[in-house]
Amino acid sequence: MMKKIYFIYLVFGVILSTMPACSDYLDLEPKNKLPGDVVLSDPNGVKAFIANLYYQAPIEDFVYFPREGFNARGNTGALALSQYGIEAIHSEWPNWNEYRNDWWDKGYKLNRSLNLLLESIPTLSISQKEKDELMAEAHFLRAYTYFALAKRYGGVPIIKTVQEYDTNFESLRVARSTEKETWDFVLEECDNAIRNLPENWESGDISKRRATKWTAYALKSRAALHAASIAKYWNRAPLSGDAVSKNLIGLAASDANAYYQACIEASAAIMNANRFTLHKPTPANPQEAAANYQAMFMDPNQASSEVIFLKGYSNAGGHIAHDYDGWNNPNQTSEGFPHRGRTNPVLELVDLYENYNTPGQPAPIITTTNGTVGANGGFNASTSYRKFNSVEEIFANKDARFFASIIYPNATWKGVSIVIQGGIVKPDGSVIESRDSYTHQGVTYYTYGKESSNQYSGFDGSADMTRTGFLMRKFLNEGSRINTWLQSTTDFIDFRLAEVLLNYAEAAVESGYSQNNVQANAAKAINDLRRRAGHTTDIPLTLQNVMRERTVELAFENKNFWDLIRRREFHTQFNNKLKTALVPMLDLRGATPQYIFVRKNVPGSNPTTFPEKDYYRHIPGVSGNGVIQNPQH
Amino acid sequence: METVSFKIHSINTMLTIKKTNCKMMKPLKIHLSILVCLFSLSSCELSEIDNYDAPNATISGGVYDVETKELVQQDIIRGGQIEYVEQGYNNPQNQYMVLKNDGTYQNKLMFANTYTMQLVRGNFVPLEKQEVVVKGDTKLDFQVQPYIRVKNANIVKQDNKIIATFNIQQTVSNEVSRIGLFAHEEVNVGDPLHVVATRQDINVATSESTLYTLEIDLAAHQGSLKPGSAYYFRVGGLINASEAKYNYAPAVRITL
Repeated sequence: MMKKIYFIYLVFGVILSTMPACSDYLDLEPKNKLPGDVVLSDPNGVKAFIANLYYQAPIEDFVYFPREGFNARGNTGALALSQYGIEAIHSEWPNWNEYRNDWWDKGYKLNRSLNLLLESIPTLSISQKEKDELMAEAHFLRAYTYFALAKRYGGVPIIKTVQEYDTNFESLRVARSTEKETWDFVLEECDNAIRNLPENWESGDISKRRATKWTAYALKSRAALHAASIAKYWNRAPLSGDAVSKNLIGLAASDANAYYQACIEASAAIMNANRFTLHKPTPANPQEAAANYQAMFMDPNQASSEVIFLKGYSNAGGHIAHDYDGWNNPNQTSEGFPHRGRTNPVLELVDLYENYNTPGQPAPIITTTNGTVGANGGFNASTSYRKFNSVEEIFANKDARFFASIIYPNATWKGVSIVIQGGIVKPDGSVIESRDSYTHQGVTYYTYGKESSNQYSGFDGSADMTRTGFLMRKFLNEGSRINTWLQSTTDFIDFRLAEVLLNYAEAAVESGYSQNNVQANAAKAINDLRRRAGHTTDIPLTLQNVMRERTVELAFENKNFWDLIRRREFHTQFNNKLKTALVPMLDLRGATPQYIFVRKNVPGSNPTTFPEKDYYRHIPGVSGNGVIQNPQH
Repeated sequence: METVSFKIHSINTMLTIKKTNCKMMKPLKIHLSILVCLFSLSSCELSEIDNYDAPNATISGGVYDVETKELVQQDIIRGGQIEYVEQGYNNPQNQYMVLKNDGTYQNKLMFANTYTMQLVRGNFVPLEKQEVVVKGDTKLDFQVQPYIRVKNANIVKQDNKIIATFNIQQTVSNEVSRIGLFAHEEVNVGDPLHVVATRQDINVATSESTLYTLEIDLAAHQGSLKPGSAYYFRVGGLINASEAKYNYAPAVRITL
């Protein structure tokens, strides 16, 4: 036996020793893959290639999570960008703020593919017009790629040609351009796209899913506003170090107005194209406005007059679907998906929505009879709270977009009344805030509104329950049932007219630019948006009005986070910051049970302070790529 | 080649197990022991990679006001730092030491070497870089000109309020952008770490004779400042200068 084994060793050894010899015996062309030059020499191959590049584009949608990166599916935890800013908080991980930082790698990979494409298109045997359009699409995607790099890293290496790999590493190392050169490159690439992109592709549907001239204008509007804001507000959070002294990060205040003007001009091109209007711009009443607004995000294809560009989803169960509904449905409408209720809107956002009877003012939720919003310390027996017979009364008169974006206590969702209650005040003034019941005048009341946990949706501290008193409605499909993973196929609107109007208005009010009637047009833009939301009283163009309108109109569309970054407000908003919850409590002190509302720091959350260095991100791999690192990273 | 021979062993071990069952336990043991030897050989090599010496030096000291010779109070979160680079390496990365609240610092895990150090992003007029030789227990104090000296600070509890009075002496001509009174359970209380704060934007070049007063109304903050508990209170002012941080008077502990 042993001899036999040694013999086997010997045989293996002999066989192996012959293996490493150089032979091309195994150098087969795989039958299931196409070599690169075949793809890029065939017009249909190029189209397939471009479709894949759109998939890779840095669109921050339902599958973008800051701690997972782009196109993240599976058990992401649904830690969304809205929870990192001032719009929401996470029900399970209220203190999580990890950052994946994947766009450096993904961005330069996409950039290389785009450069390959740009060098291949001229060799195709197609008409010059088709070539120009394909080139323009590549320029659009390259603008998007560098926009996503610039807003994270500041000035970055600009690589416009396909680098040849060889052993001379130095030739592959490209130094960072200044932040100004990088933003100017983004805008220049938008212009290259605008010049040759068609106004329409062959169908209306394709025109929303493939870049058109208008998409490139919209990207330019967004990027120019970002650059302008950094230039104007750099001094709110100045940094120092090598990268700053070499202008790799930072823009001069004197550059601001040129960028604001670029934003105004790009936005105006869309506004004056006679092609886009707000979806259902003149609703008869706030209820109709709320229904229209909710429907637009449930199915953006209904709103083609407003949508400029969207990222499509399909094939439930496959890898082009997402899990937005599963993660965010209220606990009570659990349909088999293992997680629920993750994104919890915070009171800071709810407070911003106007009341119809006080136009032009934020309308904070008033919890006390003396008309103040009340302290954040939780229930206080000596405070005189406003009392309500039904819990949703406190939200009466709020902007329609509040009702269309957020599920609040006693809201109806999928035909179910959503129960959100955080405690009971006993007749003697003591409170119950943990799981319990209390019988008063023959009726038994439960801390969280109902007895068993599948009958309510808030505050018991488990991951499926809201911590803030609010849940998501925007983007959720009220008609779907979600019993497993990857069942959501709702499309995501990446650019829509509303954002363009708000970019225009902000650029106008920040720069004071007054030619071409810009100031009056900007006032009209925000009032058109408010009219669409059911408001009938116009308000003046002020920075506060524009920013409030922007925050509520674009809530949860992953814009607010970047607003805080580009306007350098993150470190002042998040200075020892605790986000706020609104806790409805059943008050048994009166003749009949009534509801009171208590403002409270979100249970389980810790104060957050944003470090100024995080206005720019850590650049990965500086020891290899040789570029200068951002300050303090 | 080593990994290749390892594969052969493991394949044969599997074969052996299948074929032999109980009868051939001895050869199986031999083969297993060959495997174990191979594993342990490779792990010996691995352990040799981490053969660097442990840190063998320390550095400590404080940031002192060049005029009053007192320690300059700091913030821990987002506060001043010592930025340092170890010399003798290509493309070295910046490293950082955080100043403690009282203005002292300490790093017990240094390697003896020459470093370039600079105090950065603090509440004082910026200093130049300096070369520092760290060896054994090194002491290094920094003499700085704080932007602001908070003078005659007096924090008391009176009529269910915390009342702070103080003067501001500024050492540069910039405006003082804001002043603040901060409360927290920890002695590290300050602008980035507080449960309650009263801040006031002033945006003026201050005069040393002006008496500033800031208050916290305890009745309005019963949830966060609980009667009967002790809290630290600290007053400070922020100069309008690039990356400047608050200058503070020392924290005061008061039982409410």
